[in-house]
Amino acid sequence: MRSLRLPRSPKVIIGLVIVGFFIIMTVIGPWLAPYDPSSTAFAPLLSPSAHHWLGTTSLGQDIFSQLLVGARATMVVALLAGLAATILSMTVGIAAGYLGGWSDEGLSLVSNVFLAIPGVPLLIVIDSYLPVNSRSNFFVIGLIISLTGWAWGARVLRAQTMSLRNRDFVEAARIIGEKRTRIMFTEVAPNLLPVLASSFLFTVLYSIGAYVTLAYIGLTSTAVWNWGTMLYWAQANNAPLSGEWYWFVPPGICIALVGTGLALVNFGIDEFINPRLRAGGLTARQRRQLGLPRRIRLGLTPVLHASSKPKIVPAHAKLVSQ
Amino acid sequence: MIADPLKTQATSKMMDMQLREVAPASAHHEFVLEVNNFNVDYGVGENMVRAVNDVTLKLRRSQVLGVAGESGSGKSTLVYAMTRLLRAPGVISGGDVTLNITNDGDSDEVTPINLVTASEKELRQIRWSHVSIVLQSALNALNPVLRVGREFHEVLKTHRRELTKSQRHARSVELLKMVGLNEDRLARFPHELSGGQRQRIMIALALALDPELVIMDEPTTALDVVTQREIINELNELRSRYGFALIFITHDLSLLIELADEIVVMYAGAIIERAGASELYEAPRHPYTLGLINSFPPMHGDRRELTGIPGSPPDLAELPEGCSFAPRCPYAMARCLHEAPALLNIGDSDRSVACWLHTGDSSVTVPVELSRSSSPSRAHVTVLQDHT
Amino acid sequence: MLARRLLLYIVTAWVAITANFLLPRMMPGNPIQTLIGKITNTVTPEEIRAIRLSFGLGFHQGLVAQYFTYLTQLVHGNLGISITLGAPVSSILREAVPWTVGLIGLSTIFSFAIGTFGGALLGWTRGSRLDSLIPTATFFQAVPYFFLATVMLLLFGSDLHWFPVLGAYSPTVTQGWNLAYIESVIRYGELPLIAIVLSSLAGWMLGMRNMMITMIGEDFVLMAVAKGLPRRKVIWHAARNAILPSIANLSLAIGLVVSGALLVELVFNYPGVGDLLLQAVLNEDYPLIQGIFLVITLAVLAANFLADIVYLWLDPRTRTVAAV
Repeated sequence: MRSLRLPRSPKVIIGLVIVGFFIIMTVIGPWLAPYDPSSTAFAPLLSPSAHHWLGTTSLGQDIFSQLLVGARATMVVALLAGLAATILSMTVGIAAGYLGGWSDEGLSLVSNVFLAIPGVPLLIVIDSYLPVNSRSNFFVIGLIISLTGWAWGARVLRAQTMSLRNRDFVEAARIIGEKRTRIMFTEVAPNLLPVLASSFLFTVLYSIGAYVTLAYIGLTSTAVWNWGTMLYWAQANNAPLSGEWYWFVPPGICIALVGTGLALVNFGIDEFINPRLRAGGLTARQRRQLGLPRRIRLGLTPVLHASSKPKIVPAHAKLVSQ
Repeated sequence: MIADPLKTQATSKMMDMQLREVAPASAHHEFVLEVNNFNVDYGVGENMVRAVNDVTLKLRRSQVLGVAGESGSGKSTLVYAMTRLLRAPGVISGGDVTLNITNDGDSDEVTPINLVTASEKELRQIRWSHVSIVLQSALNALNPVLRVGREFHEVLKTHRRELTKSQRHARSVELLKMVGLNEDRLARFPHELSGGQRQRIMIALALALDPELVIMDEPTTALDVVTQREIINELNELRSRYGFALIFITHDLSLLIELADEIVVMYAGAIIERAGASELYEAPRHPYTLGLINSFPPMHGDRRELTGIPGSPPDLAELPEGCSFAPRCPYAMARCLHEAPALLNIGDSDRSVACWLHTGDSSVTVPVELSRSSSPSRAHVTVLQDHT
Repeated sequence: MLARRLLLYIVTAWVAITANFLLPRMMPGNPIQTLIGKITNTVTPEEIRAIRLSFGLGFHQGLVAQYFTYLTQLVHGNLGISITLGAPVSSILREAVPWTVGLIGLSTIFSFAIGTFGGALLGWTRGSRLDSLIPTATFFQAVPYFFLATVMLLLFGSDLHWFPVLGAYSPTVTQGWNLAYIESVIRYGELPLIAIVLSSLAGWMLGMRNMMITMIGEDFVLMAVAKGLPRRKVIWHAARNAILPSIANLSLAIGLVVSGALLVELVFNYPGVGDLLLQAVLNEDYPLIQGIFLVITLAVLAANFLADIVYLWLDPRTRTVAAV
C-alpha cells in the first residue's frame, strides 16, 4: 500500500498552516468570543476599536464575536457534508468500478445525472421546502449539501478503481475467495487514499461555498451564526454601500482563506498522484549555485560547466585589480 | 566554433559563402558525429546520479552504430542528452558533442557544430534537417489529434519554406512510398493505423529532410517479430540508398547484427565494449556482451541455448567499487572488485573492451568463450543479399 | 457517443422534473398548505385554484394521476403561476432569461478563453517567475462569487465610479434597438461580467496548467521539439491536447459557474434569473423557485451537450469509437 506522504513544498505547508488555524478556530472560537454574538447590548454601527475589534452591526452586535462563533457552524457543516459526500462517492465509485457490467452502468448513470444537475440551484429548491427547524440542523443541511456534491468524487474513484481491479493483489484476494465487499474495502480502498483525500478536500471546499451561499440568500436559520449569515445581514442592511467594510469583508476573507488553504493542500496531493506535476529534481538554490537556468526548457538540456561554478577570488587579487 | 552558421533558410546560401571564407580549414570530414568524454547526470548535489560516464565515440558518415545494453544502462540517456533533448532533472556535466554538418550543394565542406554549447536557436535549425529521431512508441510520438499528413506538412513548412503546399504534399507521398505505405495514410489519425504502419510513418518522417544522422531509440521493440524483421530490412535498404548515418539503440543484440556496422555495448552508463558488428557478435570479449548475446535468439542461424545474465541491472546511485559488472560476472577476479578497468584496445586490434581479462595482466587465462576468433564471412552485406 | 450523452441529458432532465414534482409533496409540514393559508388575501380565488391544481391539492387525485397532469402542463409550457407576482411563471422567466443567458454565457466564454490561454502559458513556463501567480489564482478560486462581486461593486462602482452599477441599463434610456440603449446595456454589464470572469478564471487556469504540465511529459511534445519547430508550435502541440480534459470537465464547471453567477446578478440587482430567484426564495414563491430551477437545469444540460459536441469535434479518437 502506498502511504500518503505529501511532498514538502512551501505551498503544502502554507496550506496546512491555514487549514490548521481555522480548525483551531472551529474548536475554541466560541470560547474565545468576547461577547454573545446575538446580544444587541452595544451601540449600533460602531467602527473597529479596542472594545470591538471589528465594530458592531446595525443592531449593536459585536462582529468579532460573530466571526469567531460563526467559524464553528461553517466548518462543521462543511466537514460533515465533505465526509458524507466522500463516503457516498467512495461506495458508489468503488462499487461501479469494481463490479463493472450493469451495476456500473446503473451507478454511473446516477452519478452522471447528479453531476449534470446544477448543485446550488437544486440545493436552493430543496432547502426552500425545509421547515425552519430543520434549516438550523447541521446534520440535515450537511447531508443535503453532500447529496449535491458527491458525484464528481464517485466518477474519479470509479476510474481509479477500474485501473486497480486487475492488479495482482486484487486478483490474489479474489482467488483465495475473499468476499467482494471485503476486497472492495480492504484491498481496493486503501490504494485509493490519495484520490479519496483529494476528493474529500474538494467536497469540503464545495460545501463551504454551498453552505455560505444558502446562508447568504437567507435559507439557513438566522438563529445559527455562520459566515454566510453575517454576509446576509451585512447585505440586508446595505453595509457594503454604506462603507461598513468591517462588517462584510472579514467573513468573506475567512471563507476565501479556508478555501485557499484546502486548495493548497490539494496541490500537494495532486503532485503525489501525478508525479509529472512535481518539480524535477533540482531545488531553486541548487540551480542558482550551479549557474543553471531557473527554468529548464524542454529541448535545451542544461550544461554544467566547470567555469560556471562560483570562482573564489583571492583577497589580494581584488586589491590589485582596484 | 564559427558564429551561427545556420541563420534562416532564406539566407543560408549567403551564409555558406561566408563560411567558406571564414573556415577554409574545415575540409572533408569522415565523421558525422564525435562525442568526447561525455558525462550526463540526473540531479545535482547529494542526490546526483551519473547516468552516462565518460563516453567517447565517433560515427562515420553513412555508417550504422548500434548501441546495446539493458534498460538503465544509459543508452537512451546518452542519445537524448547528445541532442539536448533529455528532460529534467537530466544535466550534461561534461564533454563535447560535435556534429559535422554538410553545407548545401557541396558535400566536401563541413561545419562542426558543438551541440553542448549550441544556443536554442541553433539547435532548432539543426534539428530534423541534420539530426532526426525515432522513438520506441510511435503511438506516443505522433500527436493523437492530428492527421498524419499534418506532421509531414509541419516539418516541411518549418524547414523548407520554399516549398509550396502541393510540393509538400508530393514530398509526403514520396516519403510514404519509400516506406511502402499508400498515400491515403496521410489522411488518417495515428490511432487508426497499425503499430507497424505508425513506426514506418515515423521513419518516413525522420527522413523527410534528408538528415545526415538519424537516431532510433528501440524503434522495433513494441512490434511483433515479423514486422520487426520487415522494418530492419527496409532500414538497410533505405540506408544504402540515402546514405544517412544511423544510431540504433536496442537491448537486442541479435537485431543489431543485421543492421549495424559497429556496435558499442553499455553497462551502468559506460561503454564496456566496442567492436565491428560481426566481430562483437561472434567473438565477444566482455562477459556482459556474452550474456547479452545469450539472452536473445538469433534472427538467423542455429538455435542456441538462452541463458541470460544472472542478477539485475545495477542501481546507479550505488555502484560497486571496481568494475560495476563484477557482482554479476561469472569470471570476476579479486582485482575486479576494487579496481575499475578502462576501455582499452585489445592488443593492436581495432576493437576495445573494459575488462581485466583482456586488458590487465597477461598471465590471466581468458576463458574460451571470450577468446573466440571471428570469421569474416558473416558481414551484414551477406545478410542483406539474403532478403533482396 | 453523442447519442449516449443525449440519453443521459434526457434522463437528467426527467430526474429534475420529477424531483420538482415530488419535493413539495414529500416535505414534512406540508409547506404548500401553509403557504396558501398565508396568501388567501392577496390572490384571487381562481389563482388559488390554479396553484392548488399545480400542487395536486384538494382534488383527491392519486399521485400517478397528479404526475401526469403535471407533465401535461409542462409540455404545454405551463410552469404554474407565481404567487407573489400573480403572473404565469413562464412569462416572468421569458423576461429574465435573456439577461442571464447573455451575462453568464459571455462571461463563461471569456473566462474559459482567458483561463485556458493563461493556464497553457503557466504550464509551459513552469518554474519561471510566473509561478508566483498560482497562490493568487488559488485565492481567487476560493473567494465566493458574490463576495468578490460585492467588493468590486463597492470599489469600482460606488467609490471610484468607473462603472455604472445596479440594474442592467440606465433608467434614463428607452428600451429597444437604439444605440443609447445598447451602449447602456454594455456599460452596465461590464462590472458583473468582470466579477464572474475573475471568480471563475482561476479554476480554468489551474486545471489547464496541470494538464499542460502532464502533456509536456508526453513523447509527442518532445518530438515537436526534436523536429525543430518554433516554440509557439511546440506549445500548440501540447495545448491542443491539454484542452480536451478541460472541455470534458465542462459539465461540472458549468454548474458551478452558473450557481455562482446567479448570486452575482443578485449583488448587482441585475434583472436576470438570479435576482428573481432571491425574490422567490424570500417570498417562498414555490412555483417560481421550481420554474427557475427547471430552466437553469435545462440550460445547463444544453450547455453540456454543446460542450460534448465540441469535444467530439476536437478529439478524433472519440469519433472512431462512435463509428465502431
